[in-house]
Amino acid sequence: MEERFGIPVSEFQDGLLFTHQQSWWFLKKSPSTPLPSRLKVHMVGLKAFQKVGAFVKPTTRLIQALGPRATKSRLDLSADQLQSLLAQGTMDLPASDLEDGYVILCLGDYVLGPGLFIRGKLQSQIPRKHLKYYGVDK
Amino acid sequence: MERAFERYRDIIPVFEAFQERLNSPLPRHVRVNTLKIKTHLLLQSLERKGILLKRASDPEEPIFLVPEGSSPGTWLEYALGYIHPQALTSCLASLFLAPEPESYVLDMCAAPGGKTSHLAQLMKGEGLIVANELQRKRHLPLLNTLSRLGVMNAVLTAYPAQEFPLKERFDCILADVPCSGEGTFRYAGRRFRQTGKGPSRNLCETQRRIILRAFDLLRAGGRMLYATCTYNPEENESVVDYLLKHRDAEMLTLESPLPFLPGLSIWNRETYDRNIQQAARFYPHLIDSVGFFMAKIGKRG
Repeated sequence: MEERFGIPVSEFQDGLLFTHQQSWWFLKKSPSTPLPSRLKVHMVGLKAFQKVGAFVKPTTRLIQALGPRATKSRLDLSADQLQSLLAQGTMDLPASDLEDGYVILCLGDYVLGPGLFIRGKLQSQIPRKHLKYYGVDK
Repeated sequence: MERAFERYRDIIPVFEAFQERLNSPLPRHVRVNTLKIKTHLLLQSLERKGILLKRASDPEEPIFLVPEGSSPGTWLEYALGYIHPQALTSCLASLFLAPEPESYVLDMCAAPGGKTSHLAQLMKGEGLIVANELQRKRHLPLLNTLSRLGVMNAVLTAYPAQEFPLKERFDCILADVPCSGEGTFRYAGRRFRQTGKGPSRNLCETQRRIILRAFDLLRAGGRMLYATCTYNPEENESVVDYLLKHRDAEMLTLESPLPFLPGLSIWNRETYDRNIQQAARFYPHLIDSVGFFMAKIGKRG
C-alpha cells in the first residue's frame, strides 16, 4: 500500500491481518487493548484485500477508508468524467502518467474506490450495486 | 387522533402534546462519520449540491437534521459511508457512554450497527469493540453498516447477551436491549396493537438477565449504559432497580444537551431505588425524536 499508494505503513502498524480463503481482513487495535482470544469470533475488522486471479486487490471499503491518506496513484475525476466512466465501464486516458495497476478514484474531497489502469485505459472497479448512488442505471 | 399509550397518562407530562406529537412525522437526522470525512468538508460538499443540514445538538457533535422530504439513504454520501441516518436520541446512547479511544468496549445487542459504529467514531477508530449479535439474520446488516462506515476496530460475536461468557472484562458496555419498542411509534408503518397488557414476562426476564450479565462483565471502575426505546417502566426502572438490588452498582449522572425527564420513583404501586431518578426518559414531544430510556451505571473500584 505504501509503494503503490503512498499510504504510510504506520496505518497498519497497530493492527492484525487475518486471512480466510482468498481474502484478508484488517483489524486495527491499540497495543494496550486486549484481544478477545477466549471468545468465539465470527468476523474481524474490515475486509481489506482479496485475490483476483494472480493479483491481490484492495477492497472498495479499504480504499474508501484509507484513500484520503494516499499520495500516489490517485486519479481525480471531474463529475462528467466519472459519469462517463461509470456508464461505459471504461475510459481512455492515453496521456496519463499513471503506472499500470490499481488506482484510487476521487471526486473532489470524496474517495470513491479503486479503478484499474492498464495501458492507457481505465476500468471502474466500483461495485455495480453502488452505481445507483451515482445516478447511473445499469 | 390516535389515542395511544393511555396507560402512561399519569407519568408523561403534557400528555395531550405527547399524543399529538405521535401523529406527526419523525424528523430525520444523520450523523457525520468522522472516521471517513471531516464534518466541514461534507457540509461544504452538500451545500454545493443545495442540501443544507441543520445542526441538531451540541455544536461539537456532528449530528444534523436533514431537510424535510430528503432521503439520505439514497445519497452518494451514504454509500461512501460519510453519513449514517440515525435518530437523534439513538445518538445520545453512545455519547453518554463516552468510551475513551483506547477502551475495550462491548456492544451486547449490536445490530444493525448504528450505535456500534458511533462508538467506533467516538473512539477515533482505536481500542477494540466486541459487537455481539445473537440473531444470525442480523449479522449481514450489522457487518454492512460497519464496513460501509469504515470501522476497523470491531469483532463480531454471536452469544445470547444474557449468556455472554464471563472470560472478559470491559471498560465500557452498551446494553441496548430488546424491548417492546414503544418509542419507535412514529416510524412510518410501525404501529402497535394496544393490548394494555404490557410486555411479556419473558421479555422482562431477558432484560433483567442482560443487565446483570452486563454489570458482571465490567471491570472495576467500568461503566455501562442500559437503554431501551420504550416508555414502559417494567422494562426500564424496574430492570435497573433489579440490578441495584442484586449488585453493588451505582447510578451515574447523565449530562444531556437535550431535554429529558428523570427516571420514575414509583409505578403501579412498585417503588424504585431513588437513585434511579438519575436515569433519563426522552419523550417525543420534548425532543422530537424517538422515545428512549437510558441509565448510566458504574461498577465501583
